[in-house]
Amino acid sequence: MKSTLWTLLAAVAIAPALAAQGTAPVTIIRNATVLTVTNGTLTGTDLLLRGGKIAAIGTGLTAPAGATVIDATGKFVMPGIVDPHSHLMSDAINEGSLSVTSMTRIEDVLNPTSTGIYRAAAGGVTMLNILHGSANTIGGQSATVKLKPGKSAAEMLVPGAPPGIKFALGENVTRKNSNVTNQQQRRYPYTRMGQAEVLRDAFVRAQDYRAEWADYRARGAKGVPPRTDLELQPLVEVLEGKRLVHAHSYRADEMLMLINLADEFGFKIKTLQHGLEGYKIASEIARHGAGLSTFADSWSYKIEAYDAIPHNSAILVRHGVLTTINSDSDERIRRLNIDAAKQMRYGGLTENEAMRLITINGAIQVGMGDRTGSIEVGKDADLAIWTAHPFSVYARVETTFADGEVTFDRQRDQAMRETMAQQRAELEEAPENKTPASGGGQGGRGRPAPASTMTEIDQ
Amino acid sequence: MFMIARSAALTAALTLALPGLAAQRAPSPPSVLAITGARLVPVSGPVIERGTIVIRDGRITALGANVTAPADARVIDGAGLSIYPGLIDAAGSLGVPRAATGGGGPGGFGGGAPPAASQQGTANSAYPVGQRPEVAVVDLLKADAAQWSGAHSAGITVAHAIPNSGMFRGQSAVIALGSGEVPALVVKAPIAQAIAFQGIRGAFPGSLMGVFAAMRQMFLDAQRYGAAVAAAARDPRGSPRPEWNPSLEALQAALAGTMPVVFEADTEREILRALDFAREFNLKPIIAGGDEAWKVATRLKAENVPVLLSLNFPKPTAAPAADADPEPIRVLQGRVDAPKGPGRLAAAGVRFAFTQGGGTSWSDHLPNMRRAVAAGLSPDAALRAHTLAAAQILGVADRFGSLEVGKAAHLAVVRGDIFDSTSRVTHVVVDGAVTELPAPAATAANGRPGGGARGPGGPGGPGATELGGTWMTTVAIEGTDHTVTIALRQDGQRLIGMLQGGLGVAQISHGELNADGEFRFTAPVTLRDGTEEAVFVGNLTGNAIRGGVSIVGHALGRFSGTRPAPAGTIAAPVANQPTTH
Repeated sequence: MKSTLWTLLAAVAIAPALAAQGTAPVTIIRNATVLTVTNGTLTGTDLLLRGGKIAAIGTGLTAPAGATVIDATGKFVMPGIVDPHSHLMSDAINEGSLSVTSMTRIEDVLNPTSTGIYRAAAGGVTMLNILHGSANTIGGQSATVKLKPGKSAAEMLVPGAPPGIKFALGENVTRKNSNVTNQQQRRYPYTRMGQAEVLRDAFVRAQDYRAEWADYRARGAKGVPPRTDLELQPLVEVLEGKRLVHAHSYRADEMLMLINLADEFGFKIKTLQHGLEGYKIASEIARHGAGLSTFADSWSYKIEAYDAIPHNSAILVRHGVLTTINSDSDERIRRLNIDAAKQMRYGGLTENEAMRLITINGAIQVGMGDRTGSIEVGKDADLAIWTAHPFSVYARVETTFADGEVTFDRQRDQAMRETMAQQRAELEEAPENKTPASGGGQGGRGRPAPASTMTEIDQ
Repeated sequence: MFMIARSAALTAALTLALPGLAAQRAPSPPSVLAITGARLVPVSGPVIERGTIVIRDGRITALGANVTAPADARVIDGAGLSIYPGLIDAAGSLGVPRAATGGGGPGGFGGGAPPAASQQGTANSAYPVGQRPEVAVVDLLKADAAQWSGAHSAGITVAHAIPNSGMFRGQSAVIALGSGEVPALVVKAPIAQAIAFQGIRGAFPGSLMGVFAAMRQMFLDAQRYGAAVAAAARDPRGSPRPEWNPSLEALQAALAGTMPVVFEADTEREILRALDFAREFNLKPIIAGGDEAWKVATRLKAENVPVLLSLNFPKPTAAPAADADPEPIRVLQGRVDAPKGPGRLAAAGVRFAFTQGGGTSWSDHLPNMRRAVAAGLSPDAALRAHTLAAAQILGVADRFGSLEVGKAAHLAVVRGDIFDSTSRVTHVVVDGAVTELPAPAATAANGRPGGGARGPGGPGGPGATELGGTWMTTVAIEGTDHTVTIALRQDGQRLIGMLQGGLGVAQISHGELNADGEFRFTAPVTLRDGTEEAVFVGNLTGNAIRGGVSIVGHALGRFSGTRPAPAGTIAAPVANQPTTH
């Protein structure tokens, strides 16, 4: 709790400060070790960030007038971390009432004031794939955002990012039924067999729906048009390859079922999410062209996770599967660099292969590989300056940039802690925050003393 | 739209309700009342420092410094009294029995018992309870003058009544808080379609995401329904008869922009969601609640969206437990900002009217208006927000909102000035009928939070169903106990707040509480295998809560918690140990 407290405080105070900066300042980062991910590691290198893009990479770059100059001697720059599976900053995760809830959209419920945004930025994360939960076979539409504390939801949504949708297989869908009380009805499906049926039924309905509209248009679009069906419309987009499918799945058999079903209907699974048994069917996954996004080393927390191994991502990478490590957690999202580093230990990925798991591969999985995920001229200025190699347990983020804007800065954060402690002390003294008993002097408990706040934020 | 003509015969009866005689109606004539030598505050014109106002047959027939009481009038000596137009509660559910539209019975996330209560007059709806825009509040209202006592004590004589549950709540009405039967009370109906971002228990939509999807689908269907009906009307012999659909029918006026849509929205992001949704379907939005409306003032002004602004300012309801986490700065800041909100809206030129905000008591209402004035709102703007501005936003300014000859005789009679904290509402006049209000039993020095809502059947007295406060909670999920602090704030039947501790830090959403003390809310929680959404469903008993937690992928969990008793109600707060296992 102690470390979370100051970030909680900081997120509130930093918001106006960052918002006031205006968009896309010009920054030059000098003499860094740059992990480009796509073009090797460059030492003693300068980076020019301008107009929200990486404008130049080289040595001895000339600083434009008015540019902020950061001396990064002895420091490392890596691309902003991409988390392909997050539920951060979402006011709802599951619409679990029905088996098909493709009509729901994460975009409708984004919470730009979520404290986690700032915390994730402090971990060097710049972009998220925010997914619907795994309560039902076909979940809601996902949102791709860049983390910009203090900005509105609309400003964080990535323009031009391809739309996505969540599917879910296995125990979370069936175990949803374990929560029912005697007054509730169980919700179909109860088995993996049923999940396959739900998918097939939904796509057959989507095909019919598409045909109905095609027929209407073929007849000159006369008369009252067919109903616009918000449930089936996104599935038509899946059939037409316009919407990326991110499918929560654990076991090899259910992943194969989904791949076969997608082949049957002629669409592609963009990513298998979690896919802890992916290593058993790595070739089949590669053949379909799906990516896979997994945990670094989580297993045995439920039956379908018993066969998980930490070598999963390495085996998948060796079989040519576009693989990523995700957090699926508002807490672990801050340490994805360490989760990636573990993949060098387990399975022997190279440093660059491991780095790809949390950068460019994730960008490709959400259809943004040409815009972010690596340090290249012309790409979005999404990156972070680290005090040491990001795979070191001693590495900390100094500064994070998203679209060239500072989204976290350690020095500023340190300075803010004092002002925020002051702010808290003043707020706690405000009459609006006095409980009926406090201040009355008759032994009522007051607020925790401001001094304790200071101690906590020193962590 | 229709206007129910006020019946002179019903309203003319002059009741000078004395303590003990409150329910009795005086013999019919004389129906003439004069208050002499009072300070008159017409709102629509300059203050008359010493004048007389005459009421005949439920309407104001004269007012001014030189007006004399007619010979047939009952005369009240107005020395020391200030007379204001009867105040208007611009949004709420006065007169609507709690949960009359049914939020569903016990049950939880996905699945569950069918709704307990049915919506009247909607037996043939094509949509489930909670998604019936055809529901009309006039069919739900119960006439019982005793239920107005709290509102009367705050000078309120007119209310905008909105059905109190569901997503599409239905069609609202403006009512007079008088003593007649419902037809006599309804001033104008319908006023607006009301929408709250609230799901339906045990069915789709069960989440905030589902709510937006369901709303969007329903408006799309309504557009198509309108097109189909129009096409059939153009060519009755060449086209099939469209199936009748009362729900989609009821949305046509909203789509046409002839009926505004009231969105319940408090936070900045809720308000933005409401405005974005209204823009998507070209609706005419009104924001109700509006805690953080001042943060969106520029857009509200630019889009000319009025706000029905809650005076139910957030406040700490109980002293925190000694080992509770400190409250987030955001929460502390929100309490300090709340009274400044009205002044900021006024400065930005946003139209707004005051509402009681679904709080549990009326005793904070006028004090909070005064706090808003102390925090920068001009007294004139405060008064307008309670009278003429409210009447204008609701479309009843032809009869209400100011003291003018010909307008309905709705008065708030105050000893002293309404902005003086020592003043007191002594009488209200509703359609010409006078009710004298009892003086408070004693100075409210007992420190009971929220004071006491007067009268049974008021808009929810504090006590059994007050869930606000800081709860020290233990959440047991699959054999692991997590210690969590849950800070809740109750806003009518809505719950908002934060969850902090062993399951991460999260804002709760989708919170609601019913009259039986049964509540639910959702919050993202961080567990070993990731962040998932947890649905808490529980019951409140005194200062204890307990219930179940549904988390996808996990067996049903349990939670139980306590809060320190509200200060002042228990002599020795030391007795409250917040540990529960």
